[in-house]
This record gives sequence, structure tokens and C-alpha cells, in this order.
Amino acid sequence: MKRLKSFILIALAVVVAGAYAVPAPSAAAQSSSLSIAPKKEYVIEPGDSVDDKLTIRNLDNSADLTLSLRVVDFTFTDDGGTPKLFLEDDAPQTTWSLKPFVTVPKTVTVPKSGSKTLDMSVAFPAGHGAGSYYSAIVYSTSAPDGAGNVGLAASGVTLVFAQVPGKVNENLKLEKFGAYQQATANKEAGYFFMSLLEPQRVAYTLKNNGNVTAAPVGSITLKNMFGKTYEISNVNPSGSLALIGQSRTYTACIKLASQNINFSGDRTSANTCVSAGLWPGYYSADLNLFYGQNGNPTQEIISKASFWYLPWWFLIIVFVVLLLLAYIVWRITQAVRNRSSGSIKLKKRK
Amino acid sequence: MRHWLFRYHAHAHMWRHMLPYEALAIFVIIVFVVAMPTSALRFAERGLFMHSSEPGETTSYTVSFRYMSPEPVGSVDMLFCIDPIPHHECVTPLGLDVSDAVLSSQSGETGFVMDALAPNHIVLSRAPSMISSAGISSYVFDNIVNPLDTGQSFSIRLRSHASTDASGPQIDFGSVKGQVTDGVVLETQVPPMLIFCVAEQVMDQCLGTNENYYTDMGELSSDSTLTAQSQMAVGTNASSGFAITVNGGSMAAGTSVIDSPSTPTESQPGENQFGINLVANNAPTVGSDPEGTWTNAIPTPDYSMANHYKFVPGDVVAYSPNVSLMKKFTVSYIVNSREDLKPGVYSTTMTFIASGRF
Repeated sequence: MKRLKSFILIALAVVVAGAYAVPAPSAAAQSSSLSIAPKKEYVIEPGDSVDDKLTIRNLDNSADLTLSLRVVDFTFTDDGGTPKLFLEDDAPQTTWSLKPFVTVPKTVTVPKSGSKTLDMSVAFPAGHGAGSYYSAIVYSTSAPDGAGNVGLAASGVTLVFAQVPGKVNENLKLEKFGAYQQATANKEAGYFFMSLLEPQRVAYTLKNNGNVTAAPVGSITLKNMFGKTYEISNVNPSGSLALIGQSRTYTACIKLASQNINFSGDRTSANTCVSAGLWPGYYSADLNLFYGQNGNPTQEIISKASFWYLPWWFLIIVFVVLLLLAYIVWRITQAVRNRSSGSIKLKKRK
Repeated sequence: MRHWLFRYHAHAHMWRHMLPYEALAIFVIIVFVVAMPTSALRFAERGLFMHSSEPGETTSYTVSFRYMSPEPVGSVDMLFCIDPIPHHECVTPLGLDVSDAVLSSQSGETGFVMDALAPNHIVLSRAPSMISSAGISSYVFDNIVNPLDTGQSFSIRLRSHASTDASGPQIDFGSVKGQVTDGVVLETQVPPMLIFCVAEQVMDQCLGTNENYYTDMGELSSDSTLTAQSQMAVGTNASSGFAITVNGGSMAAGTSVIDSPSTPTESQPGENQFGINLVANNAPTVGSDPEGTWTNAIPTPDYSMANHYKFVPGDVVAYSPNVSLMKKFTVSYIVNSREDLKPGVYSTTMTFIASGRF
């Protein structure tokens, strides 16, 4: 009996030791390099549906990419175009939610250096009200498995906008218009009235009080104090949207430079703001905006603004010129005084 | 002084006879009455309804507006251009053709016949007569071929004239806006794409990573700061650019959570603090500045201050307002702890979400 006990104990010890000695199967290599469409837009009549494709590429050449897909609602973060995603599972549905009308697969695995095309659809029931509906498709890599303090996960997002045509309430109100300084790494973006640096952008902020998204078009005319004009013929070249309830700032380059670049094997056009060669001085700007969806009134917004461009070198020149003028005036005054006092003395002598 | 007054009186007296009050009155009438009709008004309640918005499709357009000036109208000029501004050069929308258009119905102000002067130009004309309709006037045109470019809107520049051939001074003016959509997807020539990758180390162009998605920062101590770093690369050809948000919670062990500053704060050893930034730091030494030639993709101001750290879930940490070639960001993490921090294994998962912008 003792021998049996000893045998069992030894066997157990061997099994336990073996279990610890065999290395745990390492987690399969996993990619987190994805390429997706950033935005989809549709116009769908009530009672109609649209079938579309979502193409996902795995750029990693050594590991497969496994993604889970879900649809979430979003709104705006600030006056720019950055979405604020409602990621919580219990997030209340927005009034503009597209979630009930979108169908996407739940998961997908994309082989290394490969791509997968998924079916998606958007369908509105008959009699559905006109308006703008939007949500986001979130593609998430799985949570990391391993030992450590900080785990990393990557997600991509496709914003999906659908327009149901019909009579809608469109109402944009101009809040601000003027010269604009783009954000830099250390400085927030903002409007200005006077600048030491040459302004390269003009912007306008619109508050969307309607129940649909809006993308205005139009132009801005800049005029300097000598009458020279600069025309900004497309004030919303990206077709950027003001979401429902958003105060959206649109920026437009005074002079736009386009260049063709190679992005991931495809040629694409990139626009940047460049110096328009503005002269120092006072500038006035005229804004002329139009908006309105198909079948709805085209509405117009007109406004004026002004700003000063006063570079340091110009201020120094003005200061020097003023000093010179003051000196000349002083010299003339002195000369006149000397002459008058001279003539008085002469009279006295007489 | 008296001499000057005499001279002024003599001068004014002469002009008093040369420019009598009657002439002045006529001048005022000319300025305020005769010149008034030249100050044209905008058509009100302007609208365009395209019965089909498919690119290149032959369809009907309904143009509606309300006449504003109580003047006789003999013609209405309709010019189809990309740009709605009347005094700008008119570029015809690609593919649009109104040459075979037919005025199939009219309501409100009626009696017009239609003439297509060019593929982008229609003139409605009638015997000049006063505006009799106070409401909206609508004109339906059949056989118009839609433009092809779904990427930009177009407009119809409207002008009313007293003449029957749209010549002479305009009475009212204004533009209506339209856009073709293919009903399925609006796409430019190259489909927009957003490329994104995250790992401890990522390769340029996101062609691979070191496949390590976990970092062990070591043992917490009130005397020193623990650091770690990860990388992410991003790029897009979408004209609206991209944004990356950081999501997740601060480091926690059960219910014990290490605080994270909501404003950029220097590392404070001996205090509970978890924060991140996206630039090179030397206190402590961790991280590096963004890599890539394009300057429009940048970390947000709160996450781009060297030696200052912040963490607010949902914050945008980097973005580009427009097209951006691939750019690599290094995320620095710091953790400090107080002596009385509850013992445990503190961990978190940072989810970086890259999205397009609208």
C-alpha cells in the first residue's frame, strides 16, 4: 500500500512538473496593420436599400489580421471634423443614428498582405422621414494577450452617412468669419484681426440649427487697401459637413497649391496652403455661401470681415519713416522759429 | 479775417447762381429714383429639384424662385456653372447638357417660351409684363442631361431682365445649387483609404510590426518613474484627413486606480500619476518626435508638450486636416506611484482608434 501511495505521488509530481516544464503555446502572431475606407456616403429613397462593399486590407506581410466589426453612433468633438464615437455598449441611440438600418458582418480575418471584401447594406423602410442619418463602423483588433502593464489595441473607423431625400429643415447661421491661424503642435487654431505673419487662410464658422447635415459651397473675395483682389473660388473643397447641432469651422486657403503624390501605390492629389504674396496692410473679405439639398430652397449667406497684416519688417519701416518725418518736422519748426526770431531781432534793431 | 469771409461769400454767391436749387432737386431725383431699379434684388425662396440625381442621366429639373422687384420682366437667364457667384468665370459642369431641354410646365409667373443658347445656357422669354404673382414661380425642364462629377456641386445662375433676350440691366438675380450622386457611393478617382497600425514597434508604411502588443513597465516605486513607449503609423489620401483618439482607462489593480492628469503635467515621482504624450522627452528620457516628411499630421497641442503628460480617454492625440502621407508617432507612457499605493498588479489596455474626418 505504501509503495502504491509513493508511486501515485511520484506520478502526480511528474505530471505537475511536466505541465509546468512544457512551454505554453505562444499566442499566434497577430497583425494590427489595416487599411479601410474612411468614409461612405449614400442617397437612399425611403423603401430602398443599397448594397455595398467594405474592402479591408492587411498590410502586415507576416501575420493575419482578425477584426471584429460593430456599428456605433457618433457626433462631433469640436468645431472640426473629428468624430466623437459613442463606444459604450449602453450608449443611447442618437436621433440621427444609422445603426438600425445598417448591416455589416461581425468578424473578418484578412490573410497577411491580403485583402477581404465584405458585403454591407443600408436599407430604409417605406415612409421613412427625409433627413441625414449617420453612424460609424468600428473595426477592432482583439485585446492583446500576454504579460505586462500596458496592452495595445488598434481600431479603424469608417464613417457612414446616408441621406433620405425630401423636404428637410436646413438652417445654417454664420457665427464667425475672418482670417484664421491653423493649429500647430504648440498652438491652438483661431481667428485673428491682426497678424505679424502672412495670413494663409480665411475661415468661417457655421452653426447647424437644422435637422440635416450641410455642406456649403461658395466663394470668398479678399481685397487689400490698394484694390488688389484675391479670389477663393471654392470655400469647401473637401465637401466637409456641418453635423446636426454642430458649430463647424471651415477653412479655405487664400492660395492653394496642388501636388500629385503617391499614396500606397495610388496617385492622389494633395492640397496645401501656400503664400499668396500678400502685401502688408488692411484687408477686407466678402463671403458668399450657398447651401440647400435637392428639392429644397437654395439658401445664401453673405458676410464681410477685415484684418490687418503687419509684418515686423513693415512695422520697422513705418517706425523709421515716422521718425524721419518727425525729425524733418522738428527741423522745419526749428528753422521757422530761428527765422522768426531773426526777423524780430531785425525789427527791434530798426 | 473779414477779407477771407468776403472772398468766400463772393465764391459761393457765384455757384448759387450757376447751380440753382431746381438743378439740385433733379440730381437728387436721378440718384434716388431713376438709379433705384439698377440696385437688383435677390430672388427669394430659390430652389432646384432634380428628379434624378444619377450622374449622366437625362432627367427633369424644377427651378423655383420668387420674383422680388416690381418691374416688368421679359426674360429669365439661366446659366449652369460650377461656381454660383454671378461675376465669376462660368465653368460648365462636366457632362451637363441642356441643349435638348424642353420647358414642360410653368406656374406662378408664366407666359415664357424657352430657348437653349448653349449646352449650359437657357433663356426664358415673353413679352415684357409686370410681375403679377406674389408667390413662388416654378419652371420644369425635361431632357436635361445631368453632370457627371459627383465630387462637386454645380449651380444655376439666375437673372431676370426687362428685355426679351436677357440683355441689358438685370432686375433680380440669385443662384440655385445642385449635386449629382450615384445613389450608391460617392467616390473620387482613387478610393479614399485610411492606413493605420499600432504595436510596440511598427515599420514604415505599416508593412509589419514587432507583433508585441504588451509592455511590462516593471515594479512601481515611489522613488522613480516607470516608462514605456509604443508606436503607431497612419496616413490617408482622404481630403478630409484623419484623427486618432486614445481610449481605455488609467492603470488599475482591481478598484485601485492610478490618477491621470486631465491637463499636461510634468512627471511627479512619489505621486500617483499615469500619462502619455507623443513627443521626445528628457524628464524622464522616453519617446521621440513624430517621424515623416509631411507636416500636416501633428499631435494635438496637449499631447505635444515635451516632459508634460496627460491622459483623458477619448481625447484626440493626433490628426491631419487633409491628405497625409504615412507618419509615425511614438507614444510615451509614464507611471508614478505614492508610497501608500495599494499593492497589486496595475495594468491597462490602450486602444488607439483612427478614423476619417467628415
